[in-house]
Amino acid sequence: MQRQVDYWFVAGVKEDIPPCVALFNAAQESIHVEATPIPWNEHEKKVLTAILSGNPPDVVNLVTPVPKWAARKALVALDPALKADRYDTTEFFPSLWQEMKYRGRTYALPAYTGSYALFYNRRLLREAGLDPDRPPRTWEEVQRCSRRLLRREKGRIVQMGFIPQYGTIETPLIIAFELGARFIDPTGARVTLTAPEVVTAFQWERDFFDLYTVEEVSAFMGGFGYGDQQGFIAEKVALFINDNSFVDQIARYQPGLDYGVAMIPTFGDSPSVSSAGSWWLAIPRGAKNRRDAWSFMKFVVSRETQLREAMNRTETLFPVNRLAANDPAFLAMNPYVRIFTGQMEQTRSKSIVPLVHDIFWREFSLARERSLRGVMPPQQALAQAERTIQAALDRALEYDAYVNARMKIEVFQP
Amino acid sequence: MKRFGQNTLRGYLFASPWIIGFLAFGLYPVFMSFWYSLCQYDVLRIPQFVGLRNYRELLFGDPNFYRAVWNTLFYTLVRTPLVILGSLLLAMIVSKAVRGVRIFRTIYFIPSIISGVILSVLWMWLLNPEYGLINSSLQFFGLKGPLWLIDPRWSKPAIILMSVWSLGGGRMLVFFAAIQNVPQHYYEAVEMDGGGWWARFRHVTLPFISPVLFLWSILEVIGALQVFVEAYVMTKGGPLNSTLFYNLYLYNKAFDDFDMGYASALAWLLFLLAGIITFIQFKVSRKWVYYSGGVEK
Amino acid sequence: MNGNRSAQNLIFAVMTVIALFFLLPFIWILLTSLKPEAEVFSRALLPRSLHLENYLLLFHKMPFIQYLQNSVLISAVSVTGVVLSSSLVGYAFGCMTWPGRNFLFYFVIATMMLPMQVTMIPVFVIFTKLGWLNTFKPLTVPMFLGGGAFNIFLMRQFFMTVPASLLDAARIDGCSELGIWWRIVLPLARPALATVAILTFMFTWNDFLTPLIYLSDKAKGTLALGLGQLAGQQQPEWAVLMAASILMMLPVIVLFFLFQKYFIQGFTMSGIKE
Repeated sequence: MQRQVDYWFVAGVKEDIPPCVALFNAAQESIHVEATPIPWNEHEKKVLTAILSGNPPDVVNLVTPVPKWAARKALVALDPALKADRYDTTEFFPSLWQEMKYRGRTYALPAYTGSYALFYNRRLLREAGLDPDRPPRTWEEVQRCSRRLLRREKGRIVQMGFIPQYGTIETPLIIAFELGARFIDPTGARVTLTAPEVVTAFQWERDFFDLYTVEEVSAFMGGFGYGDQQGFIAEKVALFINDNSFVDQIARYQPGLDYGVAMIPTFGDSPSVSSAGSWWLAIPRGAKNRRDAWSFMKFVVSRETQLREAMNRTETLFPVNRLAANDPAFLAMNPYVRIFTGQMEQTRSKSIVPLVHDIFWREFSLARERSLRGVMPPQQALAQAERTIQAALDRALEYDAYVNARMKIEVFQP
Repeated sequence: MKRFGQNTLRGYLFASPWIIGFLAFGLYPVFMSFWYSLCQYDVLRIPQFVGLRNYRELLFGDPNFYRAVWNTLFYTLVRTPLVILGSLLLAMIVSKAVRGVRIFRTIYFIPSIISGVILSVLWMWLLNPEYGLINSSLQFFGLKGPLWLIDPRWSKPAIILMSVWSLGGGRMLVFFAAIQNVPQHYYEAVEMDGGGWWARFRHVTLPFISPVLFLWSILEVIGALQVFVEAYVMTKGGPLNSTLFYNLYLYNKAFDDFDMGYASALAWLLFLLAGIITFIQFKVSRKWVYYSGGVEK
Repeated sequence: MNGNRSAQNLIFAVMTVIALFFLLPFIWILLTSLKPEAEVFSRALLPRSLHLENYLLLFHKMPFIQYLQNSVLISAVSVTGVVLSSSLVGYAFGCMTWPGRNFLFYFVIATMMLPMQVTMIPVFVIFTKLGWLNTFKPLTVPMFLGGGAFNIFLMRQFFMTVPASLLDAARIDGCSELGIWWRIVLPLARPALATVAILTFMFTWNDFLTPLIYLSDKAKGTLALGLGQLAGQQQPEWAVLMAASILMMLPVIVLFFLFQKYFIQGFTMSGIKE
């Protein structure tokens, strides 16, 4: 009699069932994993209502910060199981593993991530009189290269070097990290957005626009699209930070593109920093088949499965397992993997204030917009954001204390 | 006296489906949402009673709140008269006995069936400042189009502009049905008195459809106050919070921040706002709405 | 009558121009559904070649027939429920006098003013406790219980255009209230009924959120749910999504076209003497 594990995963770019499910089902006879994709939009509501109804799946695969669910007692703590299995957690990239914890307990296993790096267009660099084999390594060099790479026709921009706001990475965040910013104090109770590093980062972005205005660049970006209309693929932007799946995108839409990949720029000699989060697996509160869920989870994040999935998947998500990421077979997949793997060792989490993650990012983005558009000086914009975030954090902590005195944490005892 | 009692019984009997529905599925949620507005609550954990703190914070400590109110009021007060007039005009046009009018009515109706998400994507494409149809057309006439959704000054007008394809939808349908309802002999009476189309409209059509116009102005306001999809899909409240509409802010609070207490307080304040505006509309309606039949109010 | 030829032609011309404008979105969606994915956001309006596969791909992406059946069932049942119950309740508000009527009517309207985001979770809890999760009941049963404040309001407004004298005469003749409702008021309110029917059909046909949170079995999904899942991917496949939209729109368009005859009142009102 087969035991069943219900696995819900948030559908990524495609809705296909991840290969790990078939691999697991084929690897043993006693457990069958039934995988169901849930739509990306409204996925939080679906999981929320499932937990509320007392009938959740056995394993969920989500991307939002773990504390968002862990703090709300939605997930089952995994520490006893980790201990009993003597799990070697150094197999995971450190920053990713850190994200799985909340208040000293572990609630999830990281499963997939994405690694960012700097993509540069060698042809455009060459045409601008720059060395195509020496991409910019510091932000000063990025600034200088961008000035050379700027081209206008009839007064309108047709080509640019680097655009800080283009792409999914938060450039000021990276810069702030590289300058050594600590956004939150060790107790997790005080948020500091007005630290000099952050202000410098915002100011840097503002000062970047010396040869052109923000409006001009916004209009220029308005001409970008998807697929072969993407700014870098269409060769309108020469320097672009994106994740490892971009390599496949370029191969699909513009295979002849002459480009290279380098580590993310930094300041002077400080180490380059990237930001990363992960898709993770966890057992929701109220799940029925926890033992088998745990077996499945361990299988998915093991070195062998991660390697096999990384080599076979059509959408390349980066493995969270360091051993898989450093495996020669994986590194040989394309010339750039080495950079991505190297960069993964130096990442910081984007979930800076996990308890009020969405509020943090809304206010941060608003402050960034205000600073960029010159509506407010960076210091002031950040101060206002800090006030709002701190107020929200205070309330969240107070509520947390109130609840912890009254509700218990569910723990998975293997 | 007996008739009175019978009337009461029959009245409530006819209204009973709604009453039962409300008692079963409405009362508890409404009550709970009010209770939650007095709590700190995130759905998966127990609520913590905090009294009026959420309301105090909203009204005195939240800059986003007033931005949301302003954005929503602007949208509501500008858009509502425009769409009602627009749909009324369209309804009158399709009331004409022209050949193929059934096809025209269907064509006008089609855009309203399209999901808001898809329409939003289409508009993002149209409003693209570089190559969108709208700016390209303006360029043809020598004008430079604004940045639309990227410009905080033009984002709300852009979203209001998007309502243009809703003009042929349910709203037009209802107005059209109302126009069909007008007794023909009244028109004849006006014509015999020498009145032209304007007199016919002003003295016959308008009064007779006024109950429906009134209905719709209330519904439209309530709906506009809850505008959500366009901002959620296209701008996420930006740029610079210029399209942070009330319902979007509420949604952020309820389902991104999981701050259900705060969201509930937002909901009840909106309820209050909608109630005040509706009350004013009802009071003003006595002056211009004409009920030709039914029963005395 | 102002039936002279030039006025007719002018109106026809105006209507045609307007029609072209209103056809734009549909045409855009149709053209996009025939493009390969990479061309979707290109500047060209027309596809370079016709890609009918998007439509076939749909059937692979979701159990289309099953979803279609479910959607039809849910919508048909909902329309029946709404038309029946909202006309009953609307009649109570529009054609009958009873103590507490006005207060209750304002109360009904008031329920429209509370955004559903905050009542959604408690409602979900109720349905969970009733054991109605993963059934069609949460989507259909409320339709029979008033059908929503919007529809009740609409019915009431239309019913109030029926002359009181007509109702009184029927009452004096010994007709029961139910009889008046069924034999006199309903036939007169056909445009209102047709409107409510079409709008309810549209709403339930396109509703994504309610099926999302109440239905878990893949076999119980609706077309709107399928469409929402296509649209909800992190990077949606727009071409296939557009194909799905076209297919979903067709029944509503056909229904609308056919239902139009109910909107023409005809002779029922004008022959009645005051």
